[in-house]
Amino acid sequence: MMRWLVRGAYGLVALIAFSTLAFAVFQPIKVLPRAGLGPGILLQDQEGRTLSSDTLRGKIVLYSFGFSRCETPCQGSQAVMQAVQRELQAGTGSVPVQLVTISFDPATDTPAVLRRMSAQAGADPAHWLFTTGEPRRLKYAIGGGFSVYYGANEEGSFDYDPAMVLIDGWGILRAEYRTPTPKIETVLRDVRLLVEEAQNSTGVARYAYEAAHLFLCYP
Amino acid sequence: MNNHTHLHIHPIERLWIIISFSMIGVFAVAVLTAGFAYGFQLPVPEDRIVDPNLVATPGATAFGEPGLRELSPGNMEARVLAQAWSFTPKEITIPVGTKVTFYVTTKDVQHGFHLEGSNINFMVLPGQISKLSTTFTTPGTYNFYCHEYCGVGHQTMYGQVIVTEK
Repeated sequence: MMRWLVRGAYGLVALIAFSTLAFAVFQPIKVLPRAGLGPGILLQDQEGRTLSSDTLRGKIVLYSFGFSRCETPCQGSQAVMQAVQRELQAGTGSVPVQLVTISFDPATDTPAVLRRMSAQAGADPAHWLFTTGEPRRLKYAIGGGFSVYYGANEEGSFDYDPAMVLIDGWGILRAEYRTPTPKIETVLRDVRLLVEEAQNSTGVARYAYEAAHLFLCYP
Repeated sequence: MNNHTHLHIHPIERLWIIISFSMIGVFAVAVLTAGFAYGFQLPVPEDRIVDPNLVATPGATAFGEPGLRELSPGNMEARVLAQAWSFTPKEITIPVGTKVTFYVTTKDVQHGFHLEGSNINFMVLPGQISKLSTTFTTPGTYNFYCHEYCGVGHQTMYGQVIVTEK
């Protein structure tokens, strides 16, 4: 009796160790890291509607930053937003994804200017919103919250470190792209991963996704 | 005399011995698989976040003009560029109680970055950006230095954070 118990215990331990190792090595599920908590934000979109981190809960949000007079440093992120928008228009199932461009120049970028930016970018207002906010709140949200630097310079324009940020439906920061030209494929892959995770991590599969986080199964 | 004693090990104790040794085995297999079968190395060229050859070019990255800047009130970032055998900037002045996030990278070989009186202590690898935050609560002068041997001038590679009264 005792012998069989001990053998059974060996077998169980070996099975658990082996399947854990197999999961960690082969990584059947990929997830994006939970990098930190996204900031609380309060914005107005091009129609003057209020948009906040609270109303965006439950939606995967891809943020880009800029201002209407911004040219070269903002083109890279605009191309990415357009590519993600094309994918969203093709449909992402039941998981809502929102694209939000935040202007940090509210003095110039009135709702009318934001509507013009939206039209110039070919934005579909169903997926992609152009927003701005009150300067002090913007500074705390973009600078303090997203750690994205911007500041007025002597030429009356802005110095700005190009960046895009991906936040999940729980308001958790999942990816940052701190380059003037983020790779479109990388951002699309990350958005797809978040959509898959939101769609599939229910019931028992939720524990598999938690295991993927535990074993750092990052793409 | 041919009377060898039979060594008795309790089954539970034997189980623990086996578990302990199997864990070592599992970790060894994991490390060897990662290193040889998957070829893990840090950092792989395609995962380089910045190009070490371009990182110091003004306009190409935020390290083109290293230094301190304010993200939001009470929240600053310091970009420090390491190279053999100096840090740029060499002196950083911050007001007491301000949260400062250090971003450090190198344009040549591997360096280290240790800032006294804080939790900041990391490797600095070409192509990667090391990042940690701290808040100094006491005014004073705190040294930072390279703690990974990087060549004959290694001992000259240091700088200072000066924490001032508000």
